[in-house]
Amino acid sequence: MKTFLMEHKRWFQTLFVLIGMFLLIQYLKIDLTILLTDLHYVVELLNEMFPPNFEAIWDNNKILNSILETISMAYLGTLFGGLIAFLFSIIASNNIFNFILIGRLAKWILSFIRVLPSLVVILIFVVAVGPGPFAGVLTIIFATIGTLGKLFTESLENLDPTSAQSLQSTGAHKLQTFKYAVWPEFLPAFISNLLYCFDINMRAAVALGIFGGGGIGYKLYLAMRVLHYRDAVALIICIIILLLIIENLSNYLRHKILGN
Amino acid sequence: MLKKILHIVAFLFFILVTYFAMQACGFKVEALQKGIKDGLFFLTEMFPPNWTDFKSMVDPALETLALAILGTILGSLVSFIIALFAASNVSNKWVNLFVRSFISIERSIPELFILLILIAAYGLGALSAILALMIGCIGMLGKLFADAIEETPTSLIESMKASGASKIQIIYYGILPDVFPKLISYALFRLEINIRLSVMLGAIGAGGIGFELDYAFSMLLYNRALSSLIMVLILVIGIEQLSAYIRKRLSIHQI
Repeated sequence: MKTFLMEHKRWFQTLFVLIGMFLLIQYLKIDLTILLTDLHYVVELLNEMFPPNFEAIWDNNKILNSILETISMAYLGTLFGGLIAFLFSIIASNNIFNFILIGRLAKWILSFIRVLPSLVVILIFVVAVGPGPFAGVLTIIFATIGTLGKLFTESLENLDPTSAQSLQSTGAHKLQTFKYAVWPEFLPAFISNLLYCFDINMRAAVALGIFGGGGIGYKLYLAMRVLHYRDAVALIICIIILLLIIENLSNYLRHKILGN
Repeated sequence: MLKKILHIVAFLFFILVTYFAMQACGFKVEALQKGIKDGLFFLTEMFPPNWTDFKSMVDPALETLALAILGTILGSLVSFIIALFAASNVSNKWVNLFVRSFISIERSIPELFILLILIAAYGLGALSAILALMIGCIGMLGKLFADAIEETPTSLIESMKASGASKIQIIYYGILPDVFPKLISYALFRLEINIRLSVMLGAIGAGGIGFELDYAFSMLLYNRALSSLIMVLILVIGIEQLSAYIRKRLSIHQI
């Protein structure tokens, strides 16, 4: 019996997963036949979506403004979030700031920030400052502190200590050591992580629009809500192009910086 | 000298860009001060959580969890099939160029908008959410899986080809066992993302704990908001711990 089970282990594992999926589908009360019976709605929807109405974008200055708004959200979120994350990482990394207990606390705060879903954060900020791009910026700053705080702490802790030690042996004080030994080594990692985070934050800035974050995401949400699908598809294409440009630009710059 | 001037100009430009960005976003220090006060008031009002609410939140939380798990399993399957077409050692050059660009385009569409489109087609509910999570996997997992498949040793594929194995046999007996631990570990990583997404999708209309959260916040039901928030945190942290545990065990088995 045991050898039989071992021989057909893969099949049993597959069967187990299939049964699990079946039970979950039952639990959620999903009617899979809808996929086929409602197919004509999908066809109708596609008919309503194409061709995309690009004139809605060119004719309307507001769309251009909202694109700039989204980019600004990501930019400010990355900038301020990055600066705060940097301060956090200096405290959290145990080779620069030597108070272990405070370092622990800072690391703990950073992982708490990372655990909070951005939905929760934006809901709180919308209550605090009202809906709009400002709430979106604050959410992005908050999320950025979590991500970059961790990345910065790791790269600070992985720095080669020899140059700092040799500077210290010549009598340099803490700030001088930081400026001349730690900072130059840390800078490439700092900038490339900022660029990476900007790419992520662009996506977040678009998505947060739905929950009152403003920007082009909100415009797209409105277009979907009032069933202007042709405009919506044009906006989606716009967003895709924007995000692809940002992604490639960020990758290109990062390779250049890390390559040097 | 010239370098110094350039530095100053760059710095001024940076300040100017930041200033305009702050204008565009309505970034005001006074608003922040008032916001911090209002936000802290809201946060303090939330305590203590209403413990009796928890009973009614178990079901939505399980629903969210089920959505995330189903979406991740289905998404991994679809992504694997797509990744086979995107891997240069399995399919031909033009196909994988096309599929790779499809994957990166998909990555640029936020899952929320995929859900909105699906809601327009299939209506509100779990089905749309699962499909959205499934499609959302393709952008990330498709790329990671394809990269993993491309790392399969060429000698393995060549020797199977030489002994007369068909393409399906090569994939099933050669590539799949080789990349399987990696696939599982990527899929678990995606599950961590999908549990957050599933909460978010719930808020737009897929139901589950995300809906409870959004409802409580928009109705300013402070205590209820906190209990749903705690439920969300339990879900997110639980899945993260589970995924870390499974990945640890897998890597032990690998060695």
